[in-house]
Amino acid sequence: MMGTIAQFLQATIAVGAVIAGALAIILGVKDRTKKISCLRIYAQTISLGVIFFGLFTGPFGLTQYPPIGNAPRDTLIGTTVFGAPFPDGLSVPTMACYYPSGRTMTCVLWQIQAYIFPFWSAGKGWGVNYVSSGLERLAIAFGLLIVMSVILGRFFCGWICPFGFYMDLITRVRKVLKVRHRNLSEGLNDGLRQLRYLVIAAVLLLSFIFGAEAIVGTQLVSGTEYKGFVYQYFSAPFCQVCPMRPLCVLVEGALGYMNLQYVFSQATGLFYEIGYYVTSLNVAVLILVTVGAFALRRFWCRICPLGGLIAVFNRFVPFKWASVIRLDKEEEKCTKCGICKRVCPPQVTEVYEGKGGDVTASGCILCFRCIEMCPYEDCLKINVAGKTVFGSRNWLETIK
Amino acid sequence: MTSKDETGMKYLPEIPQKEIDEIRSSIKATSMKVTSENIERMKKSAPNRPEAMTYFDGIADFFGQREREIRAAKEEGKKVIGYMCMFAPIEFILAADAIPVRVHSGWYDTSKIGDRIVPVEVCPVIRSTIGAKMVGLSPYLELSDAIISTLTCDGMTKLCEILSDQKPVWTMCPPRVKDSPQSMNFWREELKAVKQKIEDLTGNKITEKKLRSAIELLQRATKAFRRLQDLRKDSPVIMGRDAMLVNQTSAWDDVKRWTQKTEELCDELEKRVQQKTWACPPDTPRVMVTGTPMVWPDNWKLPNLIEEADPQGILVADELCSSDRLLYDPVGVDEWTMDDMFNAVAERYLLTSTCPCFTSKDGNKDRINWLLDKLKEFRVNGVIYYVVRGCMLYAMEYTRIKRILDHRNVPIYYLDTEYTREDVGQMKTRVEAFLEMLKAGAEG
Repeated sequence: MMGTIAQFLQATIAVGAVIAGALAIILGVKDRTKKISCLRIYAQTISLGVIFFGLFTGPFGLTQYPPIGNAPRDTLIGTTVFGAPFPDGLSVPTMACYYPSGRTMTCVLWQIQAYIFPFWSAGKGWGVNYVSSGLERLAIAFGLLIVMSVILGRFFCGWICPFGFYMDLITRVRKVLKVRHRNLSEGLNDGLRQLRYLVIAAVLLLSFIFGAEAIVGTQLVSGTEYKGFVYQYFSAPFCQVCPMRPLCVLVEGALGYMNLQYVFSQATGLFYEIGYYVTSLNVAVLILVTVGAFALRRFWCRICPLGGLIAVFNRFVPFKWASVIRLDKEEEKCTKCGICKRVCPPQVTEVYEGKGGDVTASGCILCFRCIEMCPYEDCLKINVAGKTVFGSRNWLETIK
Repeated sequence: MTSKDETGMKYLPEIPQKEIDEIRSSIKATSMKVTSENIERMKKSAPNRPEAMTYFDGIADFFGQREREIRAAKEEGKKVIGYMCMFAPIEFILAADAIPVRVHSGWYDTSKIGDRIVPVEVCPVIRSTIGAKMVGLSPYLELSDAIISTLTCDGMTKLCEILSDQKPVWTMCPPRVKDSPQSMNFWREELKAVKQKIEDLTGNKITEKKLRSAIELLQRATKAFRRLQDLRKDSPVIMGRDAMLVNQTSAWDDVKRWTQKTEELCDELEKRVQQKTWACPPDTPRVMVTGTPMVWPDNWKLPNLIEEADPQGILVADELCSSDRLLYDPVGVDEWTMDDMFNAVAERYLLTSTCPCFTSKDGNKDRINWLLDKLKEFRVNGVIYYVVRGCMLYAMEYTRIKRILDHRNVPIYYLDTEYTREDVGQMKTRVEAFLEMLKAGAEG
């Protein structure tokens, strides 16, 4: 009983401190061209802390793979709060990677892949005893994805996603070095945006092919049986190329939260040369994206299939009608000065080109930089559930 | 290379110096008289005119304090760069430590001299500027080391040729369609070329640091400018003519001092808002003017007529590139790198412009949006569409603007005129009839 009260008090103090920090930024940062950016960096930092909260707390009784390191493997919000239906933790549409230690939530893309293949039936899994069937878990993952996408949409990308934070930090470094950023041509940017959906389709299709034994009863590719080669190494095809996995594992390894020696010892063959937790393809993509993020702002967001998934359930019919956070534009106040287009990290052009009304785009990460920089009162507005939360301001009033 | 003289390529004829001097001194005398007359009239129709206006009255004098200052700065080695349209990148001029001045002309009498070179069908702003150059009237034009001329309309395009007889003229060609990627690329190249020319003339390199402080200087000016415009949104605390004069002086005054003085004016006006001291009765019909620029000192007849008419009107807003549009839009910089600052400047000058020289598939939509927004924000009762004869682009856009405003039940009145004092009488009748209608509409 005392323990519960203490925990409750701790949680209250923590939440209070977070809110106080946000208020301090809202009231303390006077420059209107910096206020939202500061708030966003703060939110991203807090989110990072929450996602990897397990690194700060003691073991949670889920130390499945001692060789991986001394830190607790997981402190899953899902399992502790919601119980058995969330065996891998709450699904969130951000890159809250499944592989590193100490995470509290799980990337929904990993869950979708993993639940299609190979954990189709109950009772099978990596030391986790699933009570629900793969189909049930898949329904929960998709259900959560849809609800979260409709409510917050790509707000996840701008304010919560730790990989987005990583790219924003690279941008900050670039600004300190006074290096200019580059822009992709509109055509190429659009092309990448379309490519996301192809990647999603490919991931789902591969998962289906690999999981064929469980789903349709016959193997479509050999080695996909329970504990077979593909089962061992390709349970989540997209994770083998995702740039977040090596980033998490290498950073945690460097910080001592994961046992790098063990990680590297899991090498088999050319593809896994670096290890099971980090494939050579992973590292190659991470390097590419890091270099890309140095040159272009929010480079990965333009091709991220997870962002694409959110966009599918937020920007397209029928979810579009129910989406909660929207970016509104008042056409008459717009002078088409082009600031919104120029400051947009993923180079969204819809806000600039839009005729007014709802201008939220599938490529928009809702970072609100355009609203922050728009110099015309209430021309751009953020609309939450039909209510205007804040609008663009004449930021000149706060310049020195 | 043979000179223009030898090949007979010049536009401007040789006029004996004696004749030039005579014409100049006579026009200068008239101009000085008109300037002080206009100020007297502005004082008269606003008995409690803000005290801070005194400064702007002084700066409004073309042959006074500011001319002496620029002359002195020039003697110290500073360069003066004149510009015709408001597309000239003032940030670059300031960053290169030169003095920007706007040199288009509002003198009625010089337009008659311009008639010797170009036909009377040509827009009087152009003719007047040519005339001013022929007799060397405008001190700012004379003091300019180079002139940036933007080829917006036909008049401006030929004007740059004519002026190049006597001054180095740098042309900047705005694309006729604003928002296509190729237009922006072209415009950036134009700006890059002008930036290079500014650097070559002044001998000062536009560094990142200098450009940043120039941008910040003008952002502060915009802040003051918009503060003044915001004060005009509610019950009138300042007469429209006074605000127009403040706006227009920004085109030749020292930016820093202008900003400071405008802030002082706004402080004074804010006090008046609190005391509810209005410049004219709050139910005075609120008029917006759109169309051809109105250039100080001579071409002040329409503002004078509106605010001295019976019933009186008040100019609360306008869409003139000689007034409300001047500093309204800020340069918004995302990252303070040379590249982003350059793009920010380029976009600010091209994209925010509502000049009718632009077109797109949905027409000059930006101008319509400006008008509609200001109609609402400034609670405008009626619009006067002001066109000087010969200004084709503004004249041609009228039909569409009228249809849009008719649709919103906003009265609009087309007023065309010339650079002449002769039509003031009949203009007065027309303006008063319009104001009468607005007043009746407001009461009924």
